[in-house]
Amino acid sequence: MMIQVNAIECRNLVKQFGDFRAVDHMNLNFEKGKISALLGPNGAGKTTAISMMLGLMRPTSGEIQVLGMSAGTKELRQRVGALTQDVRAADGLTVKEVLELFRSYYRNPMSLERLLDISGLHGDVKRRAASLSGGQRRRLAFAQSLAGNPELILLDEPTVAMDVEARGRFWETIRALASDGRTVLLTTHYLEEADAVADHIAVIAKGRVVAEGAPEQLKAQTALRTISFRATNAPEEQVWLTLPGVEKAECNGERVRLHAQQTDELLFTLMQSKWGVTDIEVQSASLEDTFRSLTTS
Amino acid sequence: MLKMFIAQTKAESIRIVRSPFFLLFSIAMPLAFYFLFTSMYGTDKSIEATTWGVFSLMSMTAFSLIGTAVSQFGIRLSFEHQDGWVRLLRLTPLTPAVWLGSKLVAQMVIHLVVIVIIFSSAGVVHNIQLTAMQWITCGLWLWIGSIAFLALGALLGTLKNANTSVAIGNVLQMGLAILGGLWMPLNGLPTWMQAIGEWLPSHRYANGAWNMVAGQALEVIDFIILAGFGAVFMVVSVYIFNRREAV
Repeated sequence: MMIQVNAIECRNLVKQFGDFRAVDHMNLNFEKGKISALLGPNGAGKTTAISMMLGLMRPTSGEIQVLGMSAGTKELRQRVGALTQDVRAADGLTVKEVLELFRSYYRNPMSLERLLDISGLHGDVKRRAASLSGGQRRRLAFAQSLAGNPELILLDEPTVAMDVEARGRFWETIRALASDGRTVLLTTHYLEEADAVADHIAVIAKGRVVAEGAPEQLKAQTALRTISFRATNAPEEQVWLTLPGVEKAECNGERVRLHAQQTDELLFTLMQSKWGVTDIEVQSASLEDTFRSLTTS
Repeated sequence: MLKMFIAQTKAESIRIVRSPFFLLFSIAMPLAFYFLFTSMYGTDKSIEATTWGVFSLMSMTAFSLIGTAVSQFGIRLSFEHQDGWVRLLRLTPLTPAVWLGSKLVAQMVIHLVVIVIIFSSAGVVHNIQLTAMQWITCGLWLWIGSIAFLALGALLGTLKNANTSVAIGNVLQMGLAILGGLWMPLNGLPTWMQAIGEWLPSHRYANGAWNMVAGQALEVIDFIILAGFGAVFMVVSVYIFNRREAV
């Protein structure tokens, strides 16, 4: 028997809208049972990629396999739960009625109790869905996406418009769902979110995958380090950029900050120079800086 | 599949009944106008081989059902498209056939309820001279005939912009009612309006019921025009839906 390791596999995925290529030869693999994040700035192609995985859009070219099946098949709708952006609640139905309705669509629905636990809407079961606050409605939509007890959960920008506290609680829920053996893929433009919740991050920009790996790996692979120091006899600014590995230099009077891929050789050069280098400090860049350097070019 | 269908039909019915527009435009307004007309003209005053009490009851029931089909089915479809609800349902195992089917069943159940409410309100307030058979055949004619207006609703529901759908829906509903002779008999209207009105499905819809309460047989032309319009609306809306899916 073949064991399917990946919940989602995309091969050379392309989506073209007229002259605009939203997704440009994306290759992605998301492992079963893990939490993965598709991280990128707005307009990077995250929603388009998710829409194709859900079968809402057809790829211009390339291939997608979801749970070993081609995207959008009927069987997948039983097994995949999805939260998309901006969906208004059905008018006229109460929270309980909406959840019961969605539960009726599935072979093996999640219990109403658990859906209410997850959405934190126990106190609002009798309220009309349309009268809920924005945050509550979002939580109801999330519960709707889980109604079928899905083994794969796709979440498009799930925490947009959530406050810090709500976001933290949401991440806990996601981790709990993944610990049941479910696969979760979420898109986000918050790096902090991907770092906090995901086992695997794919960074995308302009429709392409620019980096991929576990958060620590990503940091190690791509992080720039910074060296800041005081130079009493500093050369002209351009000279800094000619030093080994330096990608960016910031000067503020005697204070200089250099950004570089690796710093050992650079430190040696600085120590040997006649620029009067003192007060050296070496720091690794935050993931935030890494993300920014990857997605802007 | 059956469980899904029943749950969906129940949910769609609840949504219609809870809509404030349903209560106002499908029940309150037709009844208010019915009682206004009967008190203005007199319940027993004769008109078109029958009395105002009966004639207007058929007209206002027809008016209510046209409105219910156009707005609760048609306009609601537009809103559901616009709000992303349809897109959301496409992610679930609910199939489009079950979804639309349950909407139509829910709509027909509600139409039956509307007929019962309006007929019994009139029957309780006024002494209406109709045989049990006439009550039933008129009710059935209006009930089954409302399918043609559900088809019109489906066509309206293909509009992606819900505000356009509301505007067109209201104009259609009022236009069909006035030109079809539902507010006042067709022969009281200017001749050019009569010339148009005769061919409208709304007129043919009400005319079938008027003939039955007058003890006359159903005219074949009523059936042909109503069914013909219904079929055209259905074919065109299915064509538009399919073409959109293909993109």
